[in-house]
Amino acid sequence: MRLYARDLEVWIGGVKVLSGVSLDVSEGEVVGLIGRNGAGKTTTLHTLMGLVRPRSGKVYLERDGVELEVTGSKPYRIAGMGVSLVPQGRYIFPDLTVMENLEVAYGGRVPEGLLNEVFQYFPELGRIRDRLGIHLSGGEQQMLAIARALVRRPRIILMDEPLEGLAPKIVASLREVIKRLRGEGIGILMTEAGNIKRVRDLVDRVYGIDRGEIVFSGGIEDMLRDEAVRRRIWGV
Amino acid sequence: MDISLIVVQAFNALFYASILFLISSGLSLIYGIMRILNLSHGALYMVGAYVTYTVVILWLGLDWFSMILGYLASILVVGGLGILVERILLKPLYGKSHDLQLLLTFALILILDDVVKMIWGPEYRAFPKLPGFSIPVGDFQVPIYFIFTVLLGFSVAIVLHLFFTRTTVGKMIRAMTYSPEVASALGINTDRLFALSFGLGAALAGLAGGVAVPLYTASPGMGTEVIVLSFAVIVIGGMGSIKGALLGSLIVGFSRVFMVMLFPVMEIALIYIIMALILLVKPTGLFGMEMRERR
Ligand SMILES: Nc1ncnc2c1ncn2[C@@H]1O[C@H](COP(=O)(O)OP(=O)(O)OP(=O)(O)O)[C@@H](O)[C@H]1O
Ligand SMILES: [Mg+2]
Repeated sequence: MRLYARDLEVWIGGVKVLSGVSLDVSEGEVVGLIGRNGAGKTTTLHTLMGLVRPRSGKVYLERDGVELEVTGSKPYRIAGMGVSLVPQGRYIFPDLTVMENLEVAYGGRVPEGLLNEVFQYFPELGRIRDRLGIHLSGGEQQMLAIARALVRRPRIILMDEPLEGLAPKIVASLREVIKRLRGEGIGILMTEAGNIKRVRDLVDRVYGIDRGEIVFSGGIEDMLRDEAVRRRIWGV
Repeated sequence: MDISLIVVQAFNALFYASILFLISSGLSLIYGIMRILNLSHGALYMVGAYVTYTVVILWLGLDWFSMILGYLASILVVGGLGILVERILLKPLYGKSHDLQLLLTFALILILDDVVKMIWGPEYRAFPKLPGFSIPVGDFQVPIYFIFTVLLGFSVAIVLHLFFTRTTVGKMIRAMTYSPEVASALGINTDRLFALSFGLGAALAGLAGGVAVPLYTASPGMGTEVIVLSFAVIVIGGMGSIKGALLGSLIVGFSRVFMVMLFPVMEIALIYIIMALILLVKPTGLFGMEMRERR
C-alpha cells in the first residue's frame, strides 16, 4: 500500500499553510517529515488523513495496484482503508481507561490475540490496562496512542512528533517499536521538529518542510550536508 | 403542617423532577456531545406529548398497555424526527457559526408549533384522567402514575449510565465528545454517531412529552415553559452530565413545588437564585467538566 499526496495547497483561516506539497509513504518504510514549529507538518498529516480539505491538490491511496483518490474523504473512511493517525499531543481519551481507548479504536472488545500482540510492543500498557487516560504519564500516553493506532491493523501510520517531550528512556523504547513496526511491513510517516539526531538512524528517507513547502526530499545525511536546506529548515 | 400534605407534595416534586430529567438529560446530551444548544428541544417534547395522546386517547383507549405503546411511538417518531433534523438541517451547518445552529433550532420551534396546530388544532388536548388508581395518603391521594413516572425516570437514568459506561458505542460517543477529529481519524464513524446522539436526545424529549401529557395536557407552545426550566436544570447540574441533569432536576423540581406551597411569589425566582449561587461557586455547574474549546 502507498499513500501519497500531489501538489497540496491548504488554506486555514485565510492563510496559505501548505503550497505544492507532494509526498509519498509506502508499506515497510519509515519516512521523516522534518521542519520547525509552524512549518506545516501537522497540517500535512491532517490533510492526508482527511481532517483538512485542501483547496487544490490530491491525495491518493494505492492498494494492490489499484489507485484510489481519497482527497477530502472522511477521516474514518481513510482510516477504514488502513491508515492510522497518532496525533500530536496524543489525544488519549481522558475519561476512558487504557482498555477502553483501545476498544473504541477497534470498534468493539479487542480480541485476546490482538491484545497480546499489541501489548508485546508495550508490556507496560498491559499492566495499567484499567487506568484512566487522564492518569497516564506522557510516555504511557504516547505508547497508548500508538497501540490505539495498532489495534486497527493499519498498513500505514502517520505519527505526529511521536518522540516529542519524552524522557530519553522512553524515546529509546519508542524508537525500537518503530523499527519493529517497519520490520512487520508497516509504513510510517513521522514528523520531527527539533532533535534530528534521534531520528537519524530511524528513517529511510526524509522530506524537509519549511513554510508550507517541501524544500528537500532524499536521504537524511544528504539533507544534513546541504547547507542551503539546513539554513531553510533550522535557520543555521 | 400536615405531614400527609408534605408526603403528597414530595411525590409531586419527584414526578415533576422525573419529567424535567427526561427532558433535560436529552438537552444536556446534545449539548455535551455536539455543542449544540437545541432550542427546539421543548418543541420535540410537545410533539412527543401529542403522539402519546393520539395513540392512547384517539386510537387505543386509556390503559397501561396503550400508554406503553404511546411512549414507544413518541420515542420512535420524535427520535426519528431528530435524526432527520440532524442529517438534513444541522449537518450542513457544522463548522459554521454557532448562531446559525441557534437560529435553525429556533426556527424549528415555530415550524413544529404550526405543524402541531395543523394536525391537532389549536385547542388543548387533555386526558380525561390519569392511567391507574390513586393511593390515599391522609386526606390526599397520590396517583400510582406518579410513582410509575418516578421509577421510569430513574430507570432511564440507569440505562443511560449503562449505555455510556458499558457499551462500545457509548464509549465511542464519549471519545467523540473529547475530540471528533481524533475519533474520526481512528475509524469511528462520527457522522453516524452525531445523528444517533441527536436522535437519542430527541427521543428522550419525546418520551418526556408522552409521560407528561396525561397530567399536563398537550397544547401548542407547551414546550416553551419547560425548555426554560430545563436550561436552568442543566446549568445547575452541569452541561453534558447525566448525573448533573438528575440532581439539577431534583433541585428544580423540589424547590418549585415547595415554593408554590410555601411562598408562591418566589416560585420561579428561587430557581434562578439557586442557579446564580451555584454558578458563583462552580461556574461549570455541579457535575460539569471544563469544556475544551474545539479547534
Ligand atoms: N487551526 C488553525 N488556525 C489557524 N492557524 C493554523 C491552524 N492550524 C495551523 N495553523 C497555522 O498553520 C501553520 C502550520 O501549522 P502546523 O500545525 O501544520 O505546523 P507544525 O509544523 O505541525 O508545527 P509544530 O511543530 O508546532 O507542531 C502555522 O503557521 C499555524 O499557525
Ligand atoms: Mg505539529
